[in-house]
Amino acid sequence: MKKKLISILLAGVMIALTACGGSSSEPSSSGSSSGDSSAGNTQQKQETGSTEAGTEAAAAGELVDGKFAETRHITVEVYDRGNDGGTDPTSNMYAEYIKKGMLEDHNVEVEFVKVPRWTEVEEVNNLLAAGTAPDICVTYSYPTILTYADMGGVLDLSSYVEDYKDELPNLWNWLGETNIYWDKDPVNGTIWAIEGKLAVNNRINTFVRKDWLDALGLSVPTTKDEFEKMLIAFEENKEKLLGADADKMIPYSVSYDVGWRAATLIESFIDPDITDKEFYINGYDDRKLTQNGTKEAIRLLNKWYNQGLLWDNFALYGSGDTTEDDMMKAGYVGAFTHNWDYPFRNGDDSINVNLQRNVGEDACYIAIDPFEDSKGTHTKYVSSTAGDRKIFFPITNDEPLACMLYLDWISDPEHIQYLQIGDEGVTHNVLESGAIQTVAATGDPIMNSGMNIDYTITCNGLHLATEELTKLSQAYNYGGIDPDIVSEADKIAQTNAVPAKNVNVGAIEAEANIGDTLSAKRDQVYDNAVIASEADFDSVWDSMLADYLSSGGQAIMDERAAKWEAVFGNTDMLP
Amino acid sequence: MAKAKTSKPAVGKKTSTRSYLKRYWQLYFLLALPMLYLLIFKYIPMVYIQIAFKKYSIVQSVWEMPWAKNYGFEYFIKAFGNNDFRRALRNTIGLNLLDLVVGFPAPIIFALILNELCFKRFKKVVQTVAYMPHFLSWVIIASLALQLFAPGEGLVNMAIERMGGKSIPFLNDAAHWIGTYIGMGVWQNFGWGSIVYLAAIASINSELYEAASVDGAGRFRKMWHITLPGIKPTIVVLLIMNLGNILGSNFDRPFAFQNNLVMNVADVISTYVYRTGIKGLQFSLTTAVGLFQSVVGVIFLLGANWLSRRLGERGIW
Repeated sequence: MKKKLISILLAGVMIALTACGGSSSEPSSSGSSSGDSSAGNTQQKQETGSTEAGTEAAAAGELVDGKFAETRHITVEVYDRGNDGGTDPTSNMYAEYIKKGMLEDHNVEVEFVKVPRWTEVEEVNNLLAAGTAPDICVTYSYPTILTYADMGGVLDLSSYVEDYKDELPNLWNWLGETNIYWDKDPVNGTIWAIEGKLAVNNRINTFVRKDWLDALGLSVPTTKDEFEKMLIAFEENKEKLLGADADKMIPYSVSYDVGWRAATLIESFIDPDITDKEFYINGYDDRKLTQNGTKEAIRLLNKWYNQGLLWDNFALYGSGDTTEDDMMKAGYVGAFTHNWDYPFRNGDDSINVNLQRNVGEDACYIAIDPFEDSKGTHTKYVSSTAGDRKIFFPITNDEPLACMLYLDWISDPEHIQYLQIGDEGVTHNVLESGAIQTVAATGDPIMNSGMNIDYTITCNGLHLATEELTKLSQAYNYGGIDPDIVSEADKIAQTNAVPAKNVNVGAIEAEANIGDTLSAKRDQVYDNAVIASEADFDSVWDSMLADYLSSGGQAIMDERAAKWEAVFGNTDMLP
Repeated sequence: MAKAKTSKPAVGKKTSTRSYLKRYWQLYFLLALPMLYLLIFKYIPMVYIQIAFKKYSIVQSVWEMPWAKNYGFEYFIKAFGNNDFRRALRNTIGLNLLDLVVGFPAPIIFALILNELCFKRFKKVVQTVAYMPHFLSWVIIASLALQLFAPGEGLVNMAIERMGGKSIPFLNDAAHWIGTYIGMGVWQNFGWGSIVYLAAIASINSELYEAASVDGAGRFRKMWHITLPGIKPTIVVLLIMNLGNILGSNFDRPFAFQNNLVMNVADVISTYVYRTGIKGLQFSLTTAVGLFQSVVGVIFLLGANWLSRRLGERGIW
């Protein structure tokens, strides 16, 4: 009887289930259809491979004057920064400008999909796994794209960029072969991602409180020694500089991401004559964990930490936390290292503007160049024009042509200019010299990211219609910031800058699937080494680095070395 | 299950299924919905357990994915060869055991103490205040902990320093971190956990206490010989359920509390799976880890249940 009961029960459940299935049929059917479309897509892709001429003709037939006969629909990833007073990145006036333009020029309907900036990789993972990733995805992490490509989750762009070359004049003009072919596999010619271009390749600067230097009668430090003396002077004079808040004094601030936030210091310890080969082999990680000299740089930081010159809680706050920025804005931080224009960013909410508001008119951060290398120069390893954001199409993209047209549209100099500077009188003024001065805006015209870089995915950095105008306007590009300070920071960022070279030896297998594990470990090596006691420094660094290497770091270096030798032979420098 | 049990004795052996159903169909109807929930959210997803034995791909359906090497056990072998996984396993067991040792008796003791209070209103206030932390999410508790215990700027450490002491690295030193982690766990849970025990205490026959008083037993005697034995079955059931969880770990608590300086003791299986699986895209590897975790959990549960029956308690089955 018991069995019967159970079977009846189960039957009942089945009936109920089918009933429910009927009502909830929408999601399930859409799920299966997306599966179908992806299958169809791979088929389509194979066809493109076999009869390229045929598809090209078909594509040309689809477009009349660059417009589709029928309206197409594409989805585009956009970062959501969730900043104070910001707007919805999917529907603010700039998003609408793009939507309108794409519909008029190409008859393509654009829908933005917002992805949180600080967890973008996780978010895109989920979207990809669910088959709902935007048609155009953007990420800073090439290994992530490689991982997707390994699983068959990414479209090969090689045929599209070439077949539709005539339809994509702006894209080719702006990115050129360098960026489009940057990630082309030397063996089988696949292109999994196109590199967005860095219009300004300045990377990192060190900043210091100008008013504090003046208050203590110090000159701008130009060597490590002077920098250290300055930090000590800040600490010793904290009552004078901060009064009642003396306890909160932080002479030099780094975050958990030491490899980035002490980059100029670390780079100054690297042998300036390092060979291309050595730099490449250790170059998986742009935080330079395994480069020669990094350990000594961290030893110095460790010494400063133990002297109480660093922020003692730096490792407790994670990515995207604003505690440190808030301390800078409140005026407790003497010096720090960050993106070359960091204290100028965000208009009215920039660090420097906040500082003036909170502390006084004179308070501001200026860029300095205090870390000399062994030759007395100030080598800075900057990016080339590539190496910034990478654009890829997931396999679920069934409108690759429409998406290529989008990339072309967004690379049009006029469109870039409008997105970067907005409307005259609202987000910028034209000065007498013709230079464009950015004005901090509020409300709908506010730009969630500086110069709307989140929309201009093929362009990072000021790029106006003509080069002269761009040069002229560079320094006026930060609302509320003295142009002289910006020019000086730009000059320092360019001093002894060494642009990255493209070492294309094919995909490094060992790099797939490991990115996040290794970068987490890298930060742990840095953080633990900085806070170790001076006596323990060597053992902490060595043991933690050994863990990093055995978790995949060494395998990457070995494979990079082997592939370098396979492609370039015995030479240590790039041709 | 509980429903089936209560309704069973009411049915005579010879009553036909039909009339039985006719009489009780509402109960089964009520049961259908939870069953449906279990089926959809707990059983159907189990199809994807195969990912542990297959090479995961974003684009293929789970049936099409190729089998992993070593007869499908590639990822299990990989996991156990992985230092991070072994570390996470060690930490999971260690932290959960500590939680059990420190955290399990806390609500019992609290319930016993509360039970002895005669001032009713005070008792109620204490009870409510002790429940409160249960409703705070771990993210909030972790930020509270940061505000209170951070070196330098944390309130507690500032107080210690002002009083001439030396700041204590509650969050950035391995041993201290474990203490903070366990302590916050107890703080969050002891009030809520005591509800069950208080209910169990309330159901103890008050005549027993009266009889004991007549015999001259004091408070502690009564507590030891009446209250504790009275709630023993409850304790055992909860212990079994806790033991089943020894390898399980909730995600938000360790995730919110961990930082780069203490990962060596703070990384547990759930955060390892999140980092390597979701962030690092190694879905097969982490599914294997999750499956291992569940299987061990079931073994512990069955073992504890068996043990409790051997000890003369009822167990949960």
